[in-house]
Amino acid sequence: MNLLAFVGRRLAGAAVLLVLLSAAIFAATAVLPGDAVSAVAGVDASEGQRADVRAELGLDRPAAERYASWAADALRGDLGRGFIGERPVTEVLATRLPNSLLLAGLTLAVTAPLATLLGLWTGLRGGGADRLVSTGAQVLAAVPEFVIAALLIAVLAVWLEVLPRVSVIPLGGTPLDVPRALALPVLTLSAVGLAVATRLLRVSVADAAATPYCEAARLNGVRGVRLAARHILPNAAGPAVQALTLTTGALVGSAVVVENVFDYPGIGRELQLAVAARDVPMVQGIATALVAVMLAVLLLGDICARLLGARERHGR
Amino acid sequence: MSRQFDRRTFLRRGAAGAAALAVGPGLLAACSTDEPGSGRKPGPGSSPRSGGTLRAAFVGGGASETLDFFNGPSALDLVRARAWHGTLGNLDPSGPDGVRYGVLKGIDLSADLSTYTLHVRPGVRFTDGSELTSADILHSLSVLAGKSMLPVYRLAAANFDLARAKADGDLKVVLPTLRPIADGRMILCQGNFLVVKDGTKTFRKGMPSCGPFRLTEFTAGQGSAFERFDDHYGNVPHLDGLELRSIADSTARAGALTSGEIDFAHDLSPVTARTLADDAKVRLVPTKSPYLVGLSFQMNMSVEPFDDPRVREAFKLAVDREAMVKTVFYGDAEIGNDLPSMGFPDYAESLPQRAHDPARARELLKEAGADGMKVRLTTGPETPGMVEMATLFVEDLKKAGVQASVRELPAGQLYADFATYAALPLAGSYQMPIPALSTYQMSTAGGSPSAFGWKESETDTLVARARAESDRSKAKQLGTQAQRTRWEEGNQVLPVFKPNLNAQAEGVSGIRDDLFEQFPGFSQASLA
Repeated sequence: MNLLAFVGRRLAGAAVLLVLLSAAIFAATAVLPGDAVSAVAGVDASEGQRADVRAELGLDRPAAERYASWAADALRGDLGRGFIGERPVTEVLATRLPNSLLLAGLTLAVTAPLATLLGLWTGLRGGGADRLVSTGAQVLAAVPEFVIAALLIAVLAVWLEVLPRVSVIPLGGTPLDVPRALALPVLTLSAVGLAVATRLLRVSVADAAATPYCEAARLNGVRGVRLAARHILPNAAGPAVQALTLTTGALVGSAVVVENVFDYPGIGRELQLAVAARDVPMVQGIATALVAVMLAVLLLGDICARLLGARERHGR
Repeated sequence: MSRQFDRRTFLRRGAAGAAALAVGPGLLAACSTDEPGSGRKPGPGSSPRSGGTLRAAFVGGGASETLDFFNGPSALDLVRARAWHGTLGNLDPSGPDGVRYGVLKGIDLSADLSTYTLHVRPGVRFTDGSELTSADILHSLSVLAGKSMLPVYRLAAANFDLARAKADGDLKVVLPTLRPIADGRMILCQGNFLVVKDGTKTFRKGMPSCGPFRLTEFTAGQGSAFERFDDHYGNVPHLDGLELRSIADSTARAGALTSGEIDFAHDLSPVTARTLADDAKVRLVPTKSPYLVGLSFQMNMSVEPFDDPRVREAFKLAVDREAMVKTVFYGDAEIGNDLPSMGFPDYAESLPQRAHDPARARELLKEAGADGMKVRLTTGPETPGMVEMATLFVEDLKKAGVQASVRELPAGQLYADFATYAALPLAGSYQMPIPALSTYQMSTAGGSPSAFGWKESETDTLVARARAESDRSKAKQLGTQAQRTRWEEGNQVLPVFKPNLNAQAEGVSGIRDDLFEQFPGFSQASLA
């Protein structure tokens, strides 16, 4: 197996997909009802003023032409300026995207080891513990994020007062300057991810534990941690890794609820605001960047899964 | 997420022109008003205590926030600029000219209402030590405001001949009007016209400014920090510093307030505000009249049966205003009388309050042959309470025999496709606090698309005459006459005025003294 060739092939595919998806995003903004003119010129603007603003924003040109010039600029690294406030889109991405990546990364760092432990434990043990954890996970996965957030706030911020209620980041700083402010957002996001990943792992661990080679390993006296880590986990992790990468990638752009509740300065809310204001360059830039992040995360997930698979073959 | 009443909307609706409160030329000669607050200097023994950094949170506009308030759409952009830059003046219904001047000493206008002379207050200094002169005002007004895309700043160009504006010495700006108006002070001193130094092209930290605070830090979508400017004209702030934060979610703003992370939370949703009512550490400070937002429904007169005045009256009689105030705003709102701009000097307060009379509404609909009519009310969560009000209105209409239903659009969509909006038969809307006649001229006169088919050249003429009338009582009479027509035959149901539900930590004071309450200023604020 040539990992490099695999990565190269996947990268080329991702690039093509990125171009196609950016066009799809542009098409989506074009068919959204309305445009940014009302947001810029005001509801009460006259027809003449509207036409002026439309021309100034370049919205009077055909959509295909607008996309072509956007794509040409984007290739040079210039994603344009937002209609509202005229900030360069790249600047917004540079300040917000790292925060979102951090949030998603930390969530993964909490979720992955915990899910592995819980998945192995419940999958191998079965019985009462399994039923308890599985039911718990099921409930957790079903509760909406904002409810979990509210519960965590009520307990940790209001009642016990151990964590700040809102993630107030020092001006000019990053969330890393106030690690405490990250705790509640990460906990909230981890809860759902953990529940899903645990359920997935439990099933595949149980499957793997029932296979003949596992039986053979057991008969050879392999027990406990060694059995779990060397023989079961590599075979069981595949689907869970894929699921975790998917949710982590999606988290980067879709943690809007958590960003709102804790006032975390992520990219998801910027996207939401831009859509509401019909700020096409901002929507286009952010959405394309998020697609790129998602494709990169998926690629990483595939590489991980492939490496796991390779180990599995190696281990046999 | 709670939606902001954004400044964009304020500016667009509000571009305050006029006020019927026209001021006689005799009064004008003597207009050298000092701010009432200007005598209050901080110092030992003075109450309230000076010092400290006040932290306030607003909805904000995310990464699109900008220091260039001439092109900045979010409410926070203007709040930040008010702390940072000097203003020409603010509307002050209790003031002698209806305004309170800032960097100006006063505004004179010629007897024929064709020329305004702005007198610069001497001795106003920028942070770089230079003195503010007429050139700075001219630059801010004719170059920066003149080029702005925001309608409120365009209003200057719509009323004044900016190309012919000129400086007369260092302390006078002469501003010719395009046609005679008596209420130009209301346009210039509505709080939005802030002054920066002559030649300013870009806005950045460290640029000279003459407001109460100087900017030390700014991160779009996150917040800004200020320190007191000790050489500020008029009154030096009590506070040492100021921090303005963007916290988009209403509950999060309230949470930050109760946990002591901020001292002032702007514009909470009614439900959030209610949860704070029992908190001893926090005080609710809703904005007072006239700084109230009108929530309304527009009936489209170019769509049947709203072309029939009886149907329009029936809809106005059908609405249970008190129930809306109680259920949607928990009593913390005022009952409206189907006219915008309650509390402003030119508001027709002498008209009787319209009653809730579903029986009469039913009769009127029957007379007009519209009983059992079908109508769909379109609205969206553009400001807290809008959708809830629409739901109640539809129930009221059903009781009057109308087959009404409500359609809620996602946030941001109601106004985004304006052509579609203006063609709706029945639509939700809201009005920012601006004087009555300017509201009319901005959004209703001349068959404007947002007038929903109202086209009454007689009323338009009345309003224009009221604006050009320098006799105060005559102007009031003309203005009231115009509003009576709107009240009787108009196509707007305006049942409720709601305040901005602000809240502050116990002990904070002086924010209200800065006027222009929907965009609070902190030059006179102090902490406990």
